[in-house]
Amino acid sequence: MNNNHKVSVWEPPFIQPHRVGAINKFGNRGAKENVMREIFGVSIDDLVDQFGSPVFVTSEHQLRMNVRKIRRVFERRYNQVIHGWSYKTNYTGAICRILHQEGSWAEVVSAFEYEKARSLGVPGNRIIFNGPHKSKAILERAIAEGAYLQADHMDELKMIEQIASEQDRIVKIGIRINFDTGFTEPWSRFGFNLESGQANEAVKRISMSPHVRLTGLHSHIGTFIMEPRAYGEQVKTMCRFMRDLDDIDHINIDTLDIGGGFPSKNALQRVYLPPDQAVPDINEYADAVCDALVEETRYLEQSGRALPRLIIESGRAIVDDAQVLITSVVGTKRLPDGRRAAILDAGTNLLFTSYWYNHQVQMTREPGGVYEDTVLYGPLCMNIDVVRQSIQMPPLVYGDRLVVSPVGAYNNTQWLQFIEYRPNVVLVHEDTNVSVIRRAENLAVMNAQDEMPAHLSYRTMADEGSLPSGKTTREHLIRR
Amino acid sequence: MGMEPRIVQDWRRWNVAVTGVNAHVESPGPGCAVARCLRECADFKGTVIGLGYDVLDAGLYARDYCHGGYLVPYPSAGKEVLLERILQIHEIERLDAIIPCLDAEIQNFIAIKGELARLGIRMLLPNRMQFLLRAKDHLGAFCQSVDVLAPESRTITNPAFFETCEAEGWEYPFVVKGIFYDAGIAHTAAEARLIFNRLVNTWGYPVLVQKLIRGDEFNLSAIGDGKGGLHGAVMMRKRGLTEKGKAWAGVTVVDKDILEMASKLVKGLSWCGPLEVEVMKGHDGKIYLIEINPRFPAWIYLSHAAGRNLPVALIRTLAGETDLQLPEARSGTFFIRYAQEIIVELPQFESMMIDGGIPSVETLLNAS
Amino acid sequence: MIEKMDTLLQRICVDGRLAKLAVSETGFIFDPQTGQSFTLNQTGLLALDLLKRGNSLEMTAQYMSDEYEVTMDVASSSLEAFLYQLGRYL
Ligand SMILES: Cc1ncc(COP(=O)(O)O)c(C=O)c1O
Repeated sequence: MNNNHKVSVWEPPFIQPHRVGAINKFGNRGAKENVMREIFGVSIDDLVDQFGSPVFVTSEHQLRMNVRKIRRVFERRYNQVIHGWSYKTNYTGAICRILHQEGSWAEVVSAFEYEKARSLGVPGNRIIFNGPHKSKAILERAIAEGAYLQADHMDELKMIEQIASEQDRIVKIGIRINFDTGFTEPWSRFGFNLESGQANEAVKRISMSPHVRLTGLHSHIGTFIMEPRAYGEQVKTMCRFMRDLDDIDHINIDTLDIGGGFPSKNALQRVYLPPDQAVPDINEYADAVCDALVEETRYLEQSGRALPRLIIESGRAIVDDAQVLITSVVGTKRLPDGRRAAILDAGTNLLFTSYWYNHQVQMTREPGGVYEDTVLYGPLCMNIDVVRQSIQMPPLVYGDRLVVSPVGAYNNTQWLQFIEYRPNVVLVHEDTNVSVIRRAENLAVMNAQDEMPAHLSYRTMADEGSLPSGKTTREHLIRR
Repeated sequence: MGMEPRIVQDWRRWNVAVTGVNAHVESPGPGCAVARCLRECADFKGTVIGLGYDVLDAGLYARDYCHGGYLVPYPSAGKEVLLERILQIHEIERLDAIIPCLDAEIQNFIAIKGELARLGIRMLLPNRMQFLLRAKDHLGAFCQSVDVLAPESRTITNPAFFETCEAEGWEYPFVVKGIFYDAGIAHTAAEARLIFNRLVNTWGYPVLVQKLIRGDEFNLSAIGDGKGGLHGAVMMRKRGLTEKGKAWAGVTVVDKDILEMASKLVKGLSWCGPLEVEVMKGHDGKIYLIEINPRFPAWIYLSHAAGRNLPVALIRTLAGETDLQLPEARSGTFFIRYAQEIIVELPQFESMMIDGGIPSVETLLNAS
Repeated sequence: MIEKMDTLLQRICVDGRLAKLAVSETGFIFDPQTGQSFTLNQTGLLALDLLKRGNSLEMTAQYMSDEYEVTMDVASSSLEAFLYQLGRYL
């Protein structure tokens, strides 16, 4: 039963007192066949030898499969579906390119994201421009280039109106609305609230303008929504509002954008069951959305009118499992409370999502020794830099490589340049060749944005005589 | 794996594993009661193996109920790990059937049902859809669809609800419930927050709130055949409640309204496997469905006493018997739950701590 | 430092405290005086076994360093930490 004796991995001697409550040596065990030597068909050791550690590894194949699947699943149930690739989820250029090749539009929420999409060759009329902050300059450009704008607040509406009249055009826009689905916490800070009448006010305002025309409704009910029925309610509410606009104001809506928010198979903290069981299949979401959509637009179909096109802005569900992070153990410890701990070369600086996920962490060699509750720390000098608070791991040793997954959503964008350089991001092509898609930072990158005022521009303390007063550096410092 | 499935047709000689063998005084799991039903059936000559989640789960050592006992991974560890562990246990015990007894683990067992069946290990379980339809956060919609009354409820993830709820028609007191287990009655926002936090810490999100129905509580247990039929109903009226609202005393009853409601539910779900239907007979005379639990209840020993041993009926069903010919359940049979200590010797405790199990052969050898 | 360690070792050995611990080859320990049970990892089991047999700290560290192919430094410093830990629990 107990095979510890054959294992000769050195671990400092340790005695663990048994505490009452939840003693179960099998309790939180990870699966045994959890050893990964390859990722996306490429040897992990080769990847680290070539690109260093840590390194983000992205799969072109997985990414393409994911976006094709989501489109297929929705198109099977509804005729006109557009996927807007939510840039904020991961705007590494190559990743965006792959998705645009697959036919996805760009969904952007800032001047930077807009410019990035344009620089990647996305035409203005395939950009969906959302978000609460769109500066005048970028709005001018976006309007001139025919981007599809969805307005977030009244000041923005006014600005769009002003620009449209300056450019003397009629701009078709959507507005973002928010409401309670009954299943999710309402994100009421974005867009115009439906229940309080704000949305109607916005509609009135738009109908008074000769330069702006309302043609679309947008809402994004949140992210990692584990309840498909929330989407059914969302679509129902949006369609009913659309119908009211049609009946009362004779406004014809041709675009319904339901935002993103479909979950990936990641383990959200404070969800009891593992994602396999807790996260519904994408088909259940498509059913909820399209059943409601077909039902609520039947009146259009019956009178022979065109149905609105459906935009989905799914981010997480498309890119999350297409990327992993390889990280290395740089030190191990026993904490005073008896738990094992390991320090990794990647922490919350690179894995911002560790704050809300329990990422899967896998060994890359045959484990030896007893599994124990272990804490995985990152390299930062910051107490909250924890990759996993508690995970069952065999004894780890310096240099062990671990695979953290899935990490494709929101890490390459929300990572912090804090204390450490950010590492290489690589792409495994469909033929399993590998290339860098975002180079690791180095000192030159870090210093490139620094500017040095003239009076600070001497280089070192040894640059004697270069101080304005003619004093040497050392004297200068001593005087202070 | 490489193990030939060992198909034993005669259920009387089966090795049956039972989960949920914790027997905490406040809130015992159903496992020990299920095991006891099997052991006290005169025809049953097989072994019963307790599967537990903590070295202090009494059923792991209670030799009157379980011949052997093993620790298994927490449901939150997922299905692969569970399968791995069950296979280890199967190698020692050669299991013929498993009766899962805890809500949180059922989805994992559903997910590995096929693999286990190939090894000759049988389980009577609903499919995933049936399981989800009756989950607490779907129950309201399901009840509407089959025309059954249920107290209004909703899921919440943000405790700010407790400050604003009265404006939305949620007057205190109401019930705050965990997604799998545990509940409390909140009389104030502060109390509601306390319960909410306790539930989230153990069972995670979401949490449910349910309007309070005042009346008498009745429970029904039975087996669904997966084709819409309900078999072997046993009904119980709670007569004594613990602080947590668990029954510590109850009595069998026969109530055709409750049976009718349960039959509707089982039919609507095409439920397959054991279940417990919890209802409240309101002071308004109406019957409200409170919960459908996907397993036998902790009071299931009463079924044996009332003449309808449901765990035995379950394994007979698993063995392929279709006509169980169960006698009517006798009404007026009481149970009173009491606590009692079992003795655990150091070596047994050590085996559980270090190896995570005690094989049944040890018990069988000691007995012979 | 070694001096202080030796006193600690002596204290733990008073009244045969160390000897009275029920130590199983599985790493399970039971302290009959406090009712507390513990688990030892494999190196801990080896260290405790050697100490119970009356080996000095130095000899114990030497043995462990040989067995696990770690330097004497590593072995004796972690043995020290282990002894402090025992001191806290016993
Ligand atoms: C407007 C909008 N659309 C789409 C998304 C993408 O969401 P997800 O990655 O959850 O699909 C977001 C994310 O916050 C968003 O704000």
